[in-house]
Amino acid sequence: MSIHFLLVLNRQGKTRLIKWFNANYSTQEKQRYVQEIHRLIASRDTKNQSNFVEYQQLKLVYRRYAGLYFISAIDGYDSELSYLESLHFFVEILDTYFNNVCELDLVFNFYKLYAILDEVYLGGELQEILKEKVLERLAYLDKLD
Amino acid sequence: MGSLKSFIKAVRKAKTIADERAVVRKESAAIRTSFRDATLDQTTRRINISKLLYLYIMGEKTHFGQVECLKVLASPRFADKRLGYLATMLFLDENQEVLTLLTNSLDNDMQHPNAFIVGLALCCLGNIASPELARDLYTNVEKIITTNNTYLRKKACIVAAKLVEKDPDLSEFFLQKIPQLISDKQPAPLLGASKLIQSLYYASEENRPALIKTIPSIVAHLKRVTTSGYMPDYDVMGTTDPFLQVSLLSTLRILATDEQCPAEYLEQVNDILTQVASNLESGKNAAHAILYECVKSIFAIQSDQSLKILGVNILGKFLSTKDNNTRYVALDTLLSVINIEPLAVQRHRSTIVSCLSDGDISIRRRALELSFAILNDQNIRVLAREILVFLEGSADSELKPYATSQLVIAASKYSPNDKWHFDTLIRMLKVAGNYVTSDILSNILALILQCNDGELKKHAVTKLLSSCLEDMSQFSLSLITIWAVGEYGDIVLGSNIEVNGKQVLVDEKKILQLIDDLINNSTYSENENVQLISYILTSILKLSIKFKDSQSIEKLRLMLNSRTYDSNLEIQIRAVEYQEIFAQDAKLKKGLLARMPAPPVKERESLSLNNSSNKKTKSSSSHGSAGTSTTEDLLLDLMDDGGNAPGASTTQNQSDLLSDIFGNNGSTPAAASQTKNSAILDLFDTAPSVPAPPPKSSSATAIPAFNNDNIKVSFTPKSFTQNGQALIEAQVDSNASSVIEHLQLLIAVPKTQKLSISSTSGGDSITPGGPSIYQVLKLAGKEGAKIKLRVKVKYSLDGQVQEDQFDFAGFSQTL
Repeated sequence: MSIHFLLVLNRQGKTRLIKWFNANYSTQEKQRYVQEIHRLIASRDTKNQSNFVEYQQLKLVYRRYAGLYFISAIDGYDSELSYLESLHFFVEILDTYFNNVCELDLVFNFYKLYAILDEVYLGGELQEILKEKVLERLAYLDKLD
Repeated sequence: MGSLKSFIKAVRKAKTIADERAVVRKESAAIRTSFRDATLDQTTRRINISKLLYLYIMGEKTHFGQVECLKVLASPRFADKRLGYLATMLFLDENQEVLTLLTNSLDNDMQHPNAFIVGLALCCLGNIASPELARDLYTNVEKIITTNNTYLRKKACIVAAKLVEKDPDLSEFFLQKIPQLISDKQPAPLLGASKLIQSLYYASEENRPALIKTIPSIVAHLKRVTTSGYMPDYDVMGTTDPFLQVSLLSTLRILATDEQCPAEYLEQVNDILTQVASNLESGKNAAHAILYECVKSIFAIQSDQSLKILGVNILGKFLSTKDNNTRYVALDTLLSVINIEPLAVQRHRSTIVSCLSDGDISIRRRALELSFAILNDQNIRVLAREILVFLEGSADSELKPYATSQLVIAASKYSPNDKWHFDTLIRMLKVAGNYVTSDILSNILALILQCNDGELKKHAVTKLLSSCLEDMSQFSLSLITIWAVGEYGDIVLGSNIEVNGKQVLVDEKKILQLIDDLINNSTYSENENVQLISYILTSILKLSIKFKDSQSIEKLRLMLNSRTYDSNLEIQIRAVEYQEIFAQDAKLKKGLLARMPAPPVKERESLSLNNSSNKKTKSSSSHGSAGTSTTEDLLLDLMDDGGNAPGASTTQNQSDLLSDIFGNNGSTPAAASQTKNSAILDLFDTAPSVPAPPPKSSSATAIPAFNNDNIKVSFTPKSFTQNGQALIEAQVDSNASSVIEHLQLLIAVPKTQKLSISSTSGGDSITPGGPSIYQVLKLAGKEGAKIKLRVKVKYSLDGQVQEDQFDFAGFSQTL
């Protein structure tokens, strides 16, 4: 029904963001998943292959932005296309917020990355569809800090 | 301890993994120590939590920070709270016990005057709520869900949905808010409301009637969004508010598929689906996402025929786009639609087939599956051709075994005529002979065996021969060809075949050449080679009675002889055995090496009498060659159910025939069955001159134990491992003229041994002439002990209960 987990990996397989919305995974499983998913996705050919790949009982919807893979895991019956679109929505917000986002921004500002994530998704559900609203709120929250 | 930034830099500076580990371990230890300090100031605590967050992302252990997070978020400062909640959501999940410590903070924060702090608490609850937290805090969410603040309302909707998932009993509190929530016109809260409806729907059946009533409002929202025209704020690449549309559509789908959904609502849903589907300009991912959701709904609900066709056409349009993602979902959906709308899907056959050569393997796989799904007797010729082209051109070794198996099944189901069937299969062997599974192989062999049309058989064998001569690298093709040449060499000798465009006469030399080439072919794996050589040996033996020229026969003998030194035991044994048979006189060999009978077809067997009598003569000739283990192997290969078929129900038959063949027993057909069985024992005990009987069949020989007017019991030693364990199979046959019912085998062994009996095969009754009953006995005892059984057989015959008892110690082997 909703996203099971969301991952941002770089091409070397280093995690830049990891968020589990589904609490049914053990620590060992989580570590194994990240490794396996990186291997699976890094080996795929971006040009000729779709952005969807089946993984265990889940479907991974992913997209590569420069050196980073944005990956969300959804149920097999959920709509791949709209989750792909929502990933793009998330990235667009990051891009505006960090003003041409790059990997280093995410490395040093990982807590902000999570804060943005929490404004876009709640418990694995998309909660806001207006880019401006998210950005407005983030700007305000930064002032409060 | 340094700042967060310097820590991240230190980690990044590490050149090797070992360096990085060292930095991480040092920092992690320092954070642990500082947490133990009771006088820790808030700033250091914050820095430490931030560092822990970084460690979390790196996949390190962070559990020791859980309580510290709770301390930070209890602070009145907003910045502290923000970090505290952030860390809590990551370090904790609903399974942690410390979660109970969070209840109070969440309760306080959800009543805070600052909307952002309420937002943080809501977000945290939505992410890591446990059923207990859900029950403790739902009243707060209930209050917030009716607030005027859209920012909080949308969050509360989603959190409510999560709470209902955790504890379905909470639905009653949120169900009553639905009418108000769904009348909201702002997209974000509407999105949350839509999610809440879905959760409530799945939480309990009682909720459903009330939720179905929201259909008109959802339809109205969709209508508003689709007809509103351009809205710059909500625009995604030219499509208005795709996320909301997708969410509303999927909610609609769930509600409209409910059985209680009234017809008038269904009609509304039908209308809005048509409207959404026809109003959209396709071309962009966002639009495709909506259309895709629409199509899914069209096929999920009871929709009009015209709407269904519209749906398939949208998918057809998807298939022809350049975007891989769109094509992927189109194929995926078509696969699920094929059962609902087979004809409409058929129309897109050419597009589907063109996806077989797509660059993406997951698209190819779906296209292949779909191709087989739309296959029927009308299009088998075209599609089979396309699939063969796919098999020839593609490098997907993982898809090929699937494709060959499916093609064989489809061909036997829909083939327009036998000739086409053979041609297709042979072509398949030629293009993908290395990707055929063994059961499919035996299917094809059986097909050739079952062919009664002499001309067609000849056609098939010559075709095999010419294909194999053209390409010897396809294992299955070689295997089947060499087998066919051995079986039917005589019918192709002297005919002309075309190899690579040239006419070639099939003579004995050509066949010898083929055998030689196959033996020397080195493209197969070790296992394949052993199998192929075994087939070749059988073929050589069979050809020895089909060849006329004494020189060629001599060559065959030499080939066979050379294998008696083979390093592989299986081949060597076979070659030595065959050598013996080879040296027998022609008359005996003719009987031994006669053609294989067609394997029985299960359905036919029980249906027509005519066939069963045919079968008898056939099966007798099959056992004519049972003296050679290969043919028996082949037979086993051919029959799917392999197992105990030859050794079991036909034991009687076999002993009879064997004695006939070897001629050292005068048993006439009229002789009592008892003597027949002992004859076979005699045969194996006292016949040194007989071509070595295969060890397999001797170990599987049944030893008769008891025989009276009603029943016959025999035991077959299955495995004697000589370590105190033995497996024995008991076989009970009927001698009576009527049905034996309620058969029970009670067996006792000496006290020093243990016996376990499996349940019987089949049932507990035997019809006269019907299959025997088998039961496996497992014995365990002292090593070297002799096996003694006391057997009591209970059964009822003609309504009378009978009992027979006997002792048995006839096994030559010991435990």
